[in-house]
Amino acid sequence: MATHVLGIRHHGPGSARNVRRFLETLQPDIVLVEGPPDADPILQWVNNAAMKPPVAILCFQPDQLLHSVFYPFAEFSPEWQAILYARQHNIPVRFMDLPVAHVFALEQQWQEKRDHEKAASTPSTSITHAAATDTAPLPAFTHDPVAHLARAAGFSDGEKWWEHMFEFRQDNEQVFEAVTEAMQVLREAYPKKDAYMERLREAWMRKTIRQAEKEMYTTAAVICGAWHAPALQNMPKQKEDNDLLKNLPKVKVECTWIPWTYNRLSFDSGYGAGIHSPGWYHHTWHYPADDGTRWMAKVAALLREKQMDTSVAHVIEAVRLAESLAALRGLSKAGLEELNEATLSVLCHGEPMLLELIHNTLIVSDTIGEVPTDIPKPPLQSDIEKTQKRLRLPATADFKDYTLDLRKENDLERSIFLHRLQLLGIPWGENQAVAGKGTFKEQWRLQWEPEYAITIIEKGNWGNTVQEAATQYVHHQAQEANSLTMVCGLLANAMPAALPQAVETLIHCINNLAAATGDVLQLMEVVPGLVNVARYGNVRNTDADMVTNITSSMIIRICISLPAACTALDETAAQALTGQLYKMDDAIRLLQQSAITEPWQQTLYTIARQDSATPMVKGYATRLLADHQLLQGEALMQCFYFGMSHAQTPASSAAWLEGFLKGSGTFLLLDPQLWHVIHHWVSQLTPAVFEEVLPLLRRTFSHFTPAERRKLGEKAKQTNRQAPPTTNQENDAFDPARAWRGVPVVLQLLGIQINKP
Amino acid sequence: MSAILRGHAEQLYAQELEELKKQDNGSRPENWLLSPPAVVAYLMGGTLKNGFEVSPKYIGNRRLMEIAVATLTTDRALLLYGLPGTAKSWVSEHLSAAISGDSTMMVQGTAGTSEESIRYGWNYARLLAEGPTENALVATPVMRAMQLGKIVRIEELTRIGADVQDALITILSEKSLPIPELNTEVQAVRGFNVIATANNRDKGVNELSSALKRRFNTVILPVPDSIEEEINIVKRRVESYEKVMQLPAELPALQEIRRVVTMFRELRNGVTADGKTKIKTPSGTLSTAEAISVMNSGLSMAAYFGDGRLTAADLAAGIIGAVIKDPMQDKLIWQEYVETVIKTRDEWKDLYRACRDLA
Repeated sequence: MATHVLGIRHHGPGSARNVRRFLETLQPDIVLVEGPPDADPILQWVNNAAMKPPVAILCFQPDQLLHSVFYPFAEFSPEWQAILYARQHNIPVRFMDLPVAHVFALEQQWQEKRDHEKAASTPSTSITHAAATDTAPLPAFTHDPVAHLARAAGFSDGEKWWEHMFEFRQDNEQVFEAVTEAMQVLREAYPKKDAYMERLREAWMRKTIRQAEKEMYTTAAVICGAWHAPALQNMPKQKEDNDLLKNLPKVKVECTWIPWTYNRLSFDSGYGAGIHSPGWYHHTWHYPADDGTRWMAKVAALLREKQMDTSVAHVIEAVRLAESLAALRGLSKAGLEELNEATLSVLCHGEPMLLELIHNTLIVSDTIGEVPTDIPKPPLQSDIEKTQKRLRLPATADFKDYTLDLRKENDLERSIFLHRLQLLGIPWGENQAVAGKGTFKEQWRLQWEPEYAITIIEKGNWGNTVQEAATQYVHHQAQEANSLTMVCGLLANAMPAALPQAVETLIHCINNLAAATGDVLQLMEVVPGLVNVARYGNVRNTDADMVTNITSSMIIRICISLPAACTALDETAAQALTGQLYKMDDAIRLLQQSAITEPWQQTLYTIARQDSATPMVKGYATRLLADHQLLQGEALMQCFYFGMSHAQTPASSAAWLEGFLKGSGTFLLLDPQLWHVIHHWVSQLTPAVFEEVLPLLRRTFSHFTPAERRKLGEKAKQTNRQAPPTTNQENDAFDPARAWRGVPVVLQLLGIQINKP
Repeated sequence: MSAILRGHAEQLYAQELEELKKQDNGSRPENWLLSPPAVVAYLMGGTLKNGFEVSPKYIGNRRLMEIAVATLTTDRALLLYGLPGTAKSWVSEHLSAAISGDSTMMVQGTAGTSEESIRYGWNYARLLAEGPTENALVATPVMRAMQLGKIVRIEELTRIGADVQDALITILSEKSLPIPELNTEVQAVRGFNVIATANNRDKGVNELSSALKRRFNTVILPVPDSIEEEINIVKRRVESYEKVMQLPAELPALQEIRRVVTMFRELRNGVTADGKTKIKTPSGTLSTAEAISVMNSGLSMAAYFGDGRLTAADLAAGIIGAVIKDPMQDKLIWQEYVETVIKTRDEWKDLYRACRDLA
């Protein structure tokens, strides 16, 4: 059998073109491609009309989803072109890398071994996770031995050298022989580090080639990373390979196609075999003969779209400059760097900001691929896709903003769908603050990440539709949860996701936890949130009654145990409790149900009158009662005098006052009776006592707004001046002699005649 | 040393240009002395094939120089843009020296630059005697450069009034200069091009009209990236100053240069070198060029008033002069810097004392 080894660079448009041309002249009867043989069965989809790269093969271990690998392909990936060629000409195509089933199993073995060693020294669990995600990109793609050749040729990095030597080359005679020879030298000079895995992989590749030979194929085309090319041409003895591959461990692996994005293909996203400029490669793949003119025209069109004046003359000059730069650097053709520099200098007038824009939109050119809908895929995935289509929410690589009006049916469904995905841990949509009033609007920013595919598969365990999975998953989380705050958080998310069953479970869960907890403060923390949830019932047609019921039962619980919780608190605890009281009171006012309000008010009475309650809380309870207009006039005065009476220590009086005046001084400004009480209390303090309470008083007053403080100060000044004799303020500025002089004029105006005295 | 205070680039580096020319076998655009790669080599420095050492003129990103030279090979003009003291004029002088062998074709842009100093003027005595003739015409550097096919430099283009700037449009697009009085024109010979410099910090600059802007390729020269790069620049320039000025003072230690550069960078960036403390920024630009002149004036002080050794006291006056441009604001900023930053550095004690003595 004639074996032709084609050493390529992953995602190189030039390599892809060479491979295509080579295959067309060679006309092999089998094509072998570097890739996971586990995915062989799904290769048939490649020439499906609905398949639009960038796409990726996702290999995962169904029982352990942390182990997963993506094999991305763009239109300009040589592997993709090779597979496409084989499919279009109806010849067999096979992957020939070490199967992922073995790779995962081996990695697991090593991991366990490492864990064992670790466990001996320090017990740690988090490392397993980190390691598992680290190994996700293919280890083979990370090493760049080409850099050595590039340096020898005077290039700063391997990528650039390769591009100019192989990718942009128009004339490609014997290019693959050259690559193989170069790599042969490099392999001898710089052997790789991870030798065992490398040897396994190459042995498997050779095994696949031998297998093809055995099956009586005559001409085989082998497409692999340039690095492996020499190893596949100089075959060692068959026995060596077979010994190496004997008894490899194995796990169960499944594969599917998923859409990929150009952004994920670029280096910036951390992909090991990534490329800097997928958009540029896309361009060179489609227009190999472009001398930069078409590219510059694209740039100019983009700049015009962004309201930057760009004339045709600009484009001409930019192309010229790029060409002279290439000539200056001794290159046969202007590359992306030359074009970028020309763009910066001519089109952007040296402004690098605009270049950033060009980088994002053209050079990376984020687009998302498509896979045929009838590819067998996890049921949850297809449900999500169907729903996306039905609700007209396409998955896009770039973000898109939606403002949903929940009064409209379609928008409401969209919102429910997005909330459900969030519950499932798929943060496709990000809920953002809306401008304007009303609870019927929601603002979402949607951006699809290819990794969601793995989360979807993982969450597929919980159900086959989004609704089912979300319900089950929430159910599961509720069972696991042991703190009231957490369950209530879940409830707040589950309500807008319209999951009645899940909500029921959660409420049940909350009820149980609430009954069991002895911590009133925890209950109080939760109630305001629940009240907010209940409020949503209006727009979302959800059964808010359930929540209201549970809320009221919780409030009753609070009312019963709150007075006891108000005793013997220190400064900070008392501060915190008054804060909680404020929120609770707010929530209860929001509910406006007499069945709840009455017991609450009763509790406040109890606290206000309780001897043992902490003064600050007591003061605040009194204040709340006054706000509810339950304590007024005489009764309020009585409470106040009681709180501020001589028998109390000055410190406790001051604390009471702080509680009483918490939040607003307006109360004090507007009630003259109250003002006099406080004024009187302050003025009768002896200097020593005054000094003692001053810090406390100061703290109270510092919470007031500056305007309030100013007014209070003015009022205090006036009161002081008024204090000794009650002088007539209005008479101060009045001069009777001068006033008399005006009288006759006024009389004349009124037409009254008087005899002069 | 000749009696000339400051030689032109093509005189000072005549030997380098000569050697480059000998070694240069690339293709040369018409009327260029060197091929484009050799011009870049002249600017960036390096060792020639025969071992001759070319000193670097521009220290920084090579790609910028490549863009500049590539621009001059096209028929577009070059605009060097940047903060004051980022070597714009320096680069333009060396570019024209390397390309045309003549850096004297230069128009200094000021608010008072008139159209006559860009296009052409008249010798009025002759004009009255002979009427408008070629003899009565006074050619400007622009006109001469067009006739000879050389590079003309226009310094501080944005300082020139907008109406006068626009006189360049015809020259740049038509490559000709009409003289309606004589019913003739000057057509530019190949090799003619314009290098303009402009800075983006000055207040009251005249923005280029978009018609004019369109005819320039812009290269922004940045402030040096790293402190090492900046120290290198200052060191080289101070050494060459010493050569030109024949100062008897001992060459400054790298330590002194490092201190001045550190100080300038800190004040310019508004943060200390370790990135921990925020500093107020004075109103001056504190460019590399100013650091160079501080070193130079320090050298002169040391040579003529001191014992020939550069001390902190020699530098202090120059530093203060460079930092304090606004007598009120900058003075406070400087005092704060002296007390909070300089004082805390043990090895800067002498500098602190010198600064205190002057304040």
